[in-house]
Amino acid sequence: MLNHFKKTLFLLIALVSVTFANAASHAHQNNHVNKSISITDPWIRSAPENAPALGLFLRISNHTNQEVRLISAYTKGYKRIELHRTVDSNGVMKMVKQAFMPIPAQGELHLKPGSWHIMLIGPDKVPSKGEQIMVSLEFDDGNTHMIKALVRKGKMMMKHHSMH
Amino acid sequence: MSTKVFTMIGVVVLLAIALLYPLGAHKDYKSLSSQLTSAQIMHNPQRPLPSFSLIDQNSQKFNNDSLKDKWSLLLFIYTHCPDVCPTELANMAMLKAHLESQNSAVIPNIVAITFDPLRDTPEVLKTYVTHFDKTFVGVSGDMQQIDQLVKSLGAYYERVVYDDEGKSVTLKKHEPLPEDAIDKGYIINHTARIYLISPDGQVLAGFPTPHKVNDMAGDIKLLTQTFEE
Repeated sequence: MLNHFKKTLFLLIALVSVTFANAASHAHQNNHVNKSISITDPWIRSAPENAPALGLFLRISNHTNQEVRLISAYTKGYKRIELHRTVDSNGVMKMVKQAFMPIPAQGELHLKPGSWHIMLIGPDKVPSKGEQIMVSLEFDDGNTHMIKALVRKGKMMMKHHSMH
Repeated sequence: MSTKVFTMIGVVVLLAIALLYPLGAHKDYKSLSSQLTSAQIMHNPQRPLPSFSLIDQNSQKFNNDSLKDKWSLLLFIYTHCPDVCPTELANMAMLKAHLESQNSAVIPNIVAITFDPLRDTPEVLKTYVTHFDKTFVGVSGDMQQIDQLVKSLGAYYERVVYDDEGKSVTLKKHEPLPEDAIDKGYIINHTARIYLISPDGQVLAGFPTPHKVNDMAGDIKLLTQTFEE
């Protein structure tokens, strides 16, 4: 009788565990699919040890049907962090400070040299090549994304017309 | 009588050579234009570079003579630039490595002159430009001396400061920087053309953006060969 009770209890616990595990797995998959924003290839250009400013670049994809805006970026150890865009105005390369960066609905914004970029100003210490820097990105939909940006050499040419 | 005739002929021949030489040189480069991928001919014997005197990264004098007897690629930068200038310097490092790998007959010196000597002292420039390649030369010095080179090469820059509300304000050409500009920071909008200087110390061509390594390498080969023919 006691053995029967034990078996029943064990089966019950096992059944509950499997049910919870399935539910958790399902929820995890949904989170991944429903993610409104995804970020790929975040990197910081390796810079001289006395560089007063560094460029952070990445790709931001918006999977929703509404424009989402990147409104700020933060990482520790910098005097200031600003959103910028390099614009070619009749051969004069202008650095234009931005209040936000728009990521179009079901589209992407590519932050790259000679174009949109996040400017890390006044580093306490310039990071070395190979380091990974945690950066948080705040969007106007209320979400904040943590990314790990690799410090590496840039291999891209500066484009003459860099606007998206 | 015959001496006078020979003297007259000699004078006429010398005058003809003096008059025709620049035209001939100009014509050679003009005909080269259609073969160039990205470079634009700037060679003009009638408008030589002005005399200038600046300071290199080792605090040595850098003047017209410093550009002679070698090929140079000259660009203007400033070290507070987070995007355009490091991209240019990185591209120049790739170009130099490419030319070396091709065993090119000419590998130009890279000379980076600052738009911002107030913040970019020779020491600052040395650390900064040699990060990209140990052989790069950074040049600072008197702002007026830099300005006359900027003007002569058709380059341009403007300084941008931020007001108390964070709004950007572009300063007029000779307008002094506000006292708090160093603390608050300022940026410089500027042209990004790179200039090929021939061993006679004169500008031969300019490379506008984009600075594609293969295109620049091909054009440099054509230009240097034509110059040395």
